[in-house]
Amino acid sequence: MGTARIVFDRWADRYADCISGVRSSAVRDLFAAASRPDMISLSGGMPAVGLVPADAVAQAAHDAVLHEGVAALQYGGSDGRPQIRQLVTELMAEIGVRLRPEDLLITAGAQQGLDLLAKTFINPGDVIIAEGPTYVGALQAFSAYQPDIRCVPMDEHGMRMDLLEDELVKLGPRGAKFIYTIPNFQNPAGVTMSPERRRRLLELAREYDIPVVEDDPYGRLRFDGGHMKPLRSLDDEVIYLGTFSKIFAPGLRLGWVTAPKPILAKVLLVKQAADLCGSNFAQCTAERYFQGTRWRRTLQALTRTYAERRDAMCAALEEHFPPEARWTKPDGGFFIWVELPAYVDCVSMLAEAVERGVTYAPGDGFYPDGVTGKNCMRLAFCYAQPEAIEEAIRRLAEVIEDRLELYRAFMAAGALPSRQEGAA
Amino acid sequence: MREKIAVLMGGRSLEREVSLASGRRVCDALEAAGYYVLALDVTADLVQTLRSERPNAAYIALHGKYGEDGTIQELLEFLGIPYTGPGVVACALSWDKSVTKHLLTERGIPTPAWVTLTADAFKEMGAATALDLIPEAVGGFPVAVKPGRQGSALGFRRVDGPEGLADALLSALSYDTSAIVERWIEGTELAVSVLGEGDDALVLPAVEIVPVGELYDFDARMTPGAADFFAPARITPGAAKAASEVACAVHNALGCRDVSRVDLVLDAEGNPFVLESNSSPGMTETSLLPMAAEAADMTFQDVVSRVIAAALSRAESGK
Repeated sequence: MGTARIVFDRWADRYADCISGVRSSAVRDLFAAASRPDMISLSGGMPAVGLVPADAVAQAAHDAVLHEGVAALQYGGSDGRPQIRQLVTELMAEIGVRLRPEDLLITAGAQQGLDLLAKTFINPGDVIIAEGPTYVGALQAFSAYQPDIRCVPMDEHGMRMDLLEDELVKLGPRGAKFIYTIPNFQNPAGVTMSPERRRRLLELAREYDIPVVEDDPYGRLRFDGGHMKPLRSLDDEVIYLGTFSKIFAPGLRLGWVTAPKPILAKVLLVKQAADLCGSNFAQCTAERYFQGTRWRRTLQALTRTYAERRDAMCAALEEHFPPEARWTKPDGGFFIWVELPAYVDCVSMLAEAVERGVTYAPGDGFYPDGVTGKNCMRLAFCYAQPEAIEEAIRRLAEVIEDRLELYRAFMAAGALPSRQEGAA
Repeated sequence: MREKIAVLMGGRSLEREVSLASGRRVCDALEAAGYYVLALDVTADLVQTLRSERPNAAYIALHGKYGEDGTIQELLEFLGIPYTGPGVVACALSWDKSVTKHLLTERGIPTPAWVTLTADAFKEMGAATALDLIPEAVGGFPVAVKPGRQGSALGFRRVDGPEGLADALLSALSYDTSAIVERWIEGTELAVSVLGEGDDALVLPAVEIVPVGELYDFDARMTPGAADFFAPARITPGAAKAASEVACAVHNALGCRDVSRVDLVLDAEGNPFVLESNSSPGMTETSLLPMAAEAADMTFQDVVSRVIAAALSRAESGK
């Protein structure tokens, strides 16, 4: 009987370097365990699509097929149908951005926009600047092209411009391919960039001649305070990513990108290679859904619902979380960012949380190095009902308290390295 | 009439996904063997479903807590449903790595030197002040740190010096209320699967595990290509015999029946050291037991048929 080397994937040595390093992770499997019915998930940023009236969507889809006929079923232009681009210009005008339909193209969600921009701009080793922490989907989209992602920390007013400037001084003019930011209700931090910082960001970007990519999925989901002008409304060289996922539904996979003309032309070429064109059927359906005013009432209802859930989470955090924890208080969007003492490892703590029937997103996933943010977690308030949120936070607080008790025992004995104790 | 087999899978454990994958394969094999199969994700309705469906036997494809710790076995005993795999006591002994190691030591079966510390010992009794004693107790660094009770190497870390010990213990204690620090034996990692029981036990060829990265942790276990496997292991006939004998001794010492998998390491001299025993080994496409069976010219269906036949014969004999 001979010895055989057992081979599961005989193509394992053929894959491109940029994807062969991707492995299944324990965290992903813990989330899989979270498919249990008794689990309360605070990990995923899923919109409350149950509030989108099914009859309105059915009517829109019905009309799309009946009135657009073959156009809805045929290939379309790579930049998207003129009608939906017209619709986007109207939506953008409402937030202070004046565009013509030819200034934008339709993408499969803003996520495709991120991938197209990454493909357009990034050579291996190129520097990209982003907030730290930042959107995990952007990290994934960028990482495939192997950039060097530098993270600039935030405070309650968004990206720290003094630290951005430090980074830019080090890098010099044109030292980064672009600066990626989510100025409104940032994912995952939940903070919003102040108007002063927005202006400063644009000044620095001009000074160092580096394009700004503004990702704005949550801008219209504001609960408190007044509307803040998007960066794109202050500077028409800003590349802006928008999406229908939060104002309508993510299932249609519709987003858009607007950029200076030469950049948009390159992105269009990349888009053609990626998928030829987006879904005409989805575009026709969206065009119809946004006729009239019912969508506005739905969006108001969605925003009210998210606000109630944010309130429920903030109240529960105040009541149950230990004094060692700090968290952000978002004026909109989907997420709260919690920071625990530096010695707490939220990655391994997730196992205990899953045992107690609650999930969250450990903070390290929102940093490109996969290490920073280990003591942090992102909590999504968008999906669970207020009562479930309250219960989940109560369970999570018990898990954290249990962990802290253990850490205190180690610290009292001087058993934790001092750098960790000091960082507390 | 075809016999009805309830395949129990999923459940609440952290290894839910692995169990669902094992369970689906077991279902296919049982159906191919001509049984009437009832695939059951273990939820709060389980008892009600079992009472109304009255299966002839239950195939336990659960992994981790509740599936391997004796919980489901005790419940099935109470309901009078014969089940596959080791019984309540054998499961409870295997599930707790510290208890297993104590028992093996008593029986003279080699296992690496170790220390077990519980969360309560740290919180209530100041155990953290004794971390400096650990290296001497287990014979120096490197050491393996792992939860006392958990499967699939969740929470497992190798620690090379005193500075990493506290972190590793805290991480292991996220997965269980006890943690084990064990001397690291450099050598060949083997998994030896055992079918049957007592004198009739059949030991399958050892499977050798060579992690491509640093260690065979949870991520490596779940990622095809993250470890290389050789079946039978590339070891001398003498070493293979020693590994086989020790695995059989562990299977019987713990009172296992039908199926178990013993994980061990051969040191540079070819001496086996037992790391742990698993009472419900993985049955997925990338699991170790199916690889071992293949090396013995048994199909996956052969293994499943053999295991279920044993459970059904217990039903007939009223054992």
